[in-house]
Amino acid sequence: MPKVHTLADAKREQRRAYWTLVLPGFLIYISVMAFPTVFSVILSLTDYNGGRLFGGKPVSFVGFKWYGRLFVDEYFYLALKNNLWIVLVSVFGQIPLGFFLAYVLHRGLVRYGDFFQTMIYLPTVISTVVIGILWKSFFAPYGAFPELMRLFNPSYEYGISSHPLFPVLFVILWMYTGMYMIIFIANLQKIDGSVIEAAKIDGASEGQTLRYIILPALSGVLVVSAILAISGSLKSFDLIYVMTGGGPANRTTVLSIYMFDKAFKGAPNYPLANAISTVMVLISFSLIGLTKWVEHKFGGKE
Amino acid sequence: MTGFKRISVLALAVLMVVTSVFAQGTKEDAAAGKQIELTVLNYIDMSEPNSANDITMVWDKFEAENPDIKLVREDLFNEPFHQKTEAYVASGQVPDVLYMWPSGRSTSLHTTKSVKDLKPFLEKDGLFDQYNPATVAPQFAGYLAMLPNGVTTTHMLYVNTKVLRDNGLAIPKSYADMKAMVAPLKAKGIDLIAMDNMDAWVMQSCLFSMVVGRFGGVDWYERLAAGKISFTDEWFVKSLDLIDDMYKSGMINRNSLTSPYGSSRGSFAAGKAAFYIDGDWSTGAFQTDITTGKALISPALQQSDFELMVIPNLPGEVIHNSNSGVVGTGWGMSANIPAGSAKEAAAWRLIKYLQGEYVQTYRLSTGASFPSNLNVDVEKVVKERNLEPFIAKRAAYYAAHTPISPVVDGVLHSDVYNVINVGLQEIGLGSKAPKQVASEVQKAWDTWKKNQ
Repeated sequence: MPKVHTLADAKREQRRAYWTLVLPGFLIYISVMAFPTVFSVILSLTDYNGGRLFGGKPVSFVGFKWYGRLFVDEYFYLALKNNLWIVLVSVFGQIPLGFFLAYVLHRGLVRYGDFFQTMIYLPTVISTVVIGILWKSFFAPYGAFPELMRLFNPSYEYGISSHPLFPVLFVILWMYTGMYMIIFIANLQKIDGSVIEAAKIDGASEGQTLRYIILPALSGVLVVSAILAISGSLKSFDLIYVMTGGGPANRTTVLSIYMFDKAFKGAPNYPLANAISTVMVLISFSLIGLTKWVEHKFGGKE
Repeated sequence: MTGFKRISVLALAVLMVVTSVFAQGTKEDAAAGKQIELTVLNYIDMSEPNSANDITMVWDKFEAENPDIKLVREDLFNEPFHQKTEAYVASGQVPDVLYMWPSGRSTSLHTTKSVKDLKPFLEKDGLFDQYNPATVAPQFAGYLAMLPNGVTTTHMLYVNTKVLRDNGLAIPKSYADMKAMVAPLKAKGIDLIAMDNMDAWVMQSCLFSMVVGRFGGVDWYERLAAGKISFTDEWFVKSLDLIDDMYKSGMINRNSLTSPYGSSRGSFAAGKAAFYIDGDWSTGAFQTDITTGKALISPALQQSDFELMVIPNLPGEVIHNSNSGVVGTGWGMSANIPAGSAKEAAAWRLIKYLQGEYVQTYRLSTGASFPSNLNVDVEKVVKERNLEPFIAKRAAYYAAHTPISPVVDGVLHSDVYNVINVGLQEIGLGSKAPKQVASEVQKAWDTWKKNQ
């Protein structure tokens, strides 16, 4: 007699399928994201300084000692300020510029759209280290930039500016705008063309179509892009490390390089480095929360 | 069983059989099993012309001569090397044999005693007396943690005499003479001194350490450690003042702070600057690449148009003509290797080879280092092998510039010398005054001493 499947069997099966699908991802998330984050917070409260954690030199809790040291270090604030500059350039530079380029290309406002799309996206697929070395050479005192400037002004003297972060910000803008452009193009293509067509028939201008149809439809994507930009900016490391190493005198350092230096340059200070990473996580959560709030308050519905 | 399941089971079975067959290995693998495997962390400067040849001339040769030892080598350079070393120390998994510094940049290896004392090995083999006594003296943690390649001077003033001649100038005899050259050279678009100060250690190691010795005397560190002098005293503030003056007067261009280490060598060789400041180790960067036959400065020009010296007399210096120096880099052995084991014997055989006559003679010929091994007769090698003029000039430079004072990051802890490094860059940017930097360094020194 064939087995009769009851409702309870079906629910059990559903539960098993659920865990089979979710568990691997959940375990990976716990092991590579959640656990290191929590462990990092714990380490930031100790005097652990390398070597075996268990069975080695005993580790004791020292409270918020390292946070105290962090908040009186002038270079922490410098790194934080530089990070915020990068967040600003990413959110108010890359995203609007990426959207503008996507809109221009999607609406066919220029010829050779495919060519421009490829060229703008190209920096994203090149290794960050290669890009860093390339631009570092470009902006070096005996590099191409001073030579180019001398073509226009023979007496031009390449001096260190009071804003050594500017070349880095320029490269960040150049490098990542293409990624946002592609995201926006993909989502613009999802908008039903007949809606735009109907708006045009009703007499809507290009600006009104953008304001009342396209932007509200893309508000979710804009928020996701902003979250990507914020989190990417806060963890930015590779490009800056290759281009400037955070120097001179930490003028181009960011929190991740500041943390790295504390952990790996000279005698390591792991608890201090972990305190910096904890602060980075908190800042990241705060900025993402702010973005979600802005979307909730002013965003449209897709 | 469905057809799909049958195929899957069959495929898995075949896969298991195949992998287990290969897992058994070949006869060669079995023979290789008798080899002793040594992990090696090597430092290699790929920007230097002959560094790639080290792989065949040094490493492949060792493996060919020692088939019972298999080397698993990791080659790194500059900051990535130091960061990886720190990570190894932190994890307690130091490679069996590794390149290291006698102090400064390898502080953690010394203080955690992650490497063995090599003196007993040298004594057991009767080799102790075959090395320059300065190179086998106790190091940062009070024992011989690594066997150095030689003694290195961290300040070298490379002079392009052709640039000077072409502009009606001569080799300067004093700091004031050098300073007076800024204006006439600048008028022709030539920098006085090329230097790569983007990396914070360069200014401290390649110029400031020598200046500190001139104003503080050869024994400045001993007196500092004994509490007889402090960083806020005249000797140190004067040293910082001099760096400040060099930036302000244009002797060193402030834009050197955006110049990555090693990037100005080509510009100096091409005559875009009259002088170049670096360590003695950089002479190798100008020599001929054996594989391509090309050189940044050809042997003929090395002879006719370039000189090696130190910055001449500084106003108010207490010792003259001195330089800053430190025992050179070398090789250490992981403390994790069991004492008396075959692995320990293999690691020591490798270190002996790396600091033996063959490798040290080879390193001399490439300009990488001057030997610590007394069996290498520099004069004879230079003559017999017809080495490039920079090698002979370097030997003369060592003899001409004494005494030798300590290098800042060779004697101070990183908690202190990092503050000096950044402070020197702040002075370069014009954002901090020398006195302010001096007081910050003193504060870092006091904090470090309190924590000991």
